[in-house]
Amino acid sequence: MKIMDREENLREEILSVFKNTEVSSPKRKRLTVITEKALISEVMKFLKDRGFKQLCAISCIDWIEEKEFELIYHLSSFESGIHAMVKTKIDRENPVMKSMIPVFTNAQTYEREIWEMFGVQFEGNPRLIPLFLDRWRDIPPFRKDFDIREYVKRTFDVIPSLEEKQNG
Amino acid sequence: MDERELELFFGPQHMGMVGNFSITLKVRGDRVVEARANPGYLHRGFAKMMEYRVWIQNFPLVCRINVMDPDPYELIYAMGVEELAGIEVPERAKYIRTIVMELSRLASHLAWIWAYGNALGFDTIGQWSMGDRDYIIDLLEFLTGGRIYHIYIWPGGVRRDLPDGFEEKTLKILDTLEGHLPEYDDVFFNNRLFVTRARGVAKITKEEAIELGATGQVLRATGVKMDIRKLEPYAAYPYLDFEIPVREDGDSYSRMMLIREEMDQSISIIRQCFKKMPKGPVYHRVPNPFKWKVPKGETYVRMESARGELGLYMVSTGEDKPYRVHFRPPSLPHGILILEKLLKGASIADVGHIMMSLYIAAPEVDR
Amino acid sequence: MDRGKISKWLKYPEKMGHKYSLWAIYFATGCGIMEIPPVLTSRWDAERFGVLPAATPRQANLFLITGYVSVKTLRPIVRTYELMREPKYTVGFGSCPINGGMYWDSYNTIKRVDKYIPIDGWIAGCMPRPESIFIAVTKLWMMIDKGAATGYIRYRENYRYYRENQERILGKLDWPPLYPEKMGEDNG
Repeated sequence: MKIMDREENLREEILSVFKNTEVSSPKRKRLTVITEKALISEVMKFLKDRGFKQLCAISCIDWIEEKEFELIYHLSSFESGIHAMVKTKIDRENPVMKSMIPVFTNAQTYEREIWEMFGVQFEGNPRLIPLFLDRWRDIPPFRKDFDIREYVKRTFDVIPSLEEKQNG
Repeated sequence: MDERELELFFGPQHMGMVGNFSITLKVRGDRVVEARANPGYLHRGFAKMMEYRVWIQNFPLVCRINVMDPDPYELIYAMGVEELAGIEVPERAKYIRTIVMELSRLASHLAWIWAYGNALGFDTIGQWSMGDRDYIIDLLEFLTGGRIYHIYIWPGGVRRDLPDGFEEKTLKILDTLEGHLPEYDDVFFNNRLFVTRARGVAKITKEEAIELGATGQVLRATGVKMDIRKLEPYAAYPYLDFEIPVREDGDSYSRMMLIREEMDQSISIIRQCFKKMPKGPVYHRVPNPFKWKVPKGETYVRMESARGELGLYMVSTGEDKPYRVHFRPPSLPHGILILEKLLKGASIADVGHIMMSLYIAAPEVDR
Repeated sequence: MDRGKISKWLKYPEKMGHKYSLWAIYFATGCGIMEIPPVLTSRWDAERFGVLPAATPRQANLFLITGYVSVKTLRPIVRTYELMREPKYTVGFGSCPINGGMYWDSYNTIKRVDKYIPIDGWIAGCMPRPESIFIAVTKLWMMIDKGAATGYIRYRENYRYYRENQERILGKLDWPPLYPEKMGEDNG
């Protein structure tokens, strides 16, 4: 098919350079690259040179049963209009990842969010300080083993209202 | 003169702040040496709450992410669910969705003109634009039953067809609004006070904007013609004829003028939609929503909200609830790194003004 | 002004003054703030009711809690409320301050605001219509007339209860108690 050419070319190019990497294009203007942790920054640099100038977002998924965190780097190219997802998995027990700030400056905020919400450490990010939460004392809230309903019960619901307090 | 460095807290309770947001400024004299954005006052943890609700229950939640521009969130979530479940949307529903999107964009832009005008001390324009916004809110209320939150878009289409008389009413209101826009130009956009105040302030170059993740008006003001409506058309946008306004300077003035120019385009898009809209059904039936299991898979969908690229990454494991939902709001990069960069070296009087010009919606940053 | 009210004005000048100059503190605590601009501008024009936005808490006597209150916002809310001069009135706007509303199971929003600061009246709905703000204002007038808007007195009387609840959620507060004399005795 003609319209899928760009995706197909990119796929072959990536596969020829990187080993242990899977590339697929599930639909038009989408590219999924699954690679290993150590190769991430190389793959990102490679894609950046090929027009993927902007890092849109970084997502994190907690695969609690596999004991892994999956990190998804969303890259966007304005010339070809392709949206690329670069994925990798890291260990859940000791979640450490290299910061992507040297490649994309705006990774800082996204990494900060993931650090706060999932507890993933990003080596080389100078600003891992709380972004949204105020003096959070529990485990990172977006992890799957954090039960929000139980937390609400034990934190907010146990506080008596004024009437309850006055009536004993 | 001996000048000390002081720390100044700007917000959250501050007259120059729209929304619940705060910036910590380090100032010397009246120059900002360093700015630190401090979001989180509106964090509710949508992504987590959505994992606890079935697919259809999430619709009332997602629109509440951004109160100024709620409909794009409904649409993007619907688009995500449709892509995972493989649901087709009828043609007529696509046009109705486009109309709702553009009405929401108009309402958001008009609200922002109020906020921006107030920040610069132009009270008249605010009185007008808020009044005009109310006409659009009334239209959306007529269509959906809610003033601010609509919950009108569903997977597989929209909840119900356009009511009788909606087209005439909308066209009439668009004519009124179009008649008012030249007055807006006279009193605000071409006003010398506004032009001198905004021109050249908070300049950002093309390279910096791309590097820091800018989309929407912030990026288009630097000369990059990037709009998801053209890059990856969704809803009825592929069938419509419209322009993407672009400016070259990258300053406050260009960003605000883009908002003004986009309003003309939105009005034209809505008119085209009414002309081209086919008759037919407005939704495809979905399975019983309370037992609905969306097939396993992942998707990234994106669209152009009033503020820039809105993305949604969603993972389903074949359960009745989403496994992971991640929104990419356009205001997040604008509200933190770009804001901090542009505030450096600005004068204190310009802080509110720069923040407004970036079109930052605080609830969207925090989610 | 209506003639019948003159005797009232002469008898309770302070009450009438509070009633007709409800200055609302400009603080956008949640998404309810979106209905405030229409209320203030041309279509609804809250100034007819003497309601104006006030920039500083020192000059305001009405606190509209507009929408959900996150844990991080509770701190500035308490701080702002304590900075306001008495008499001060608070109105919870929207479902979320009442019982959490939409965000009943969110880990970061306060479920019942009246456990942390006293509330004089509630406006239910998500989002409430602008008209309901005026209904609330007229209701508040009635309450002020009858001396029923006593939230700030409740706050003073039960200061220890409120302060303890605030500290339970926010940790040790870094400003001194507003009524230190109330902190020692047990009033629970």
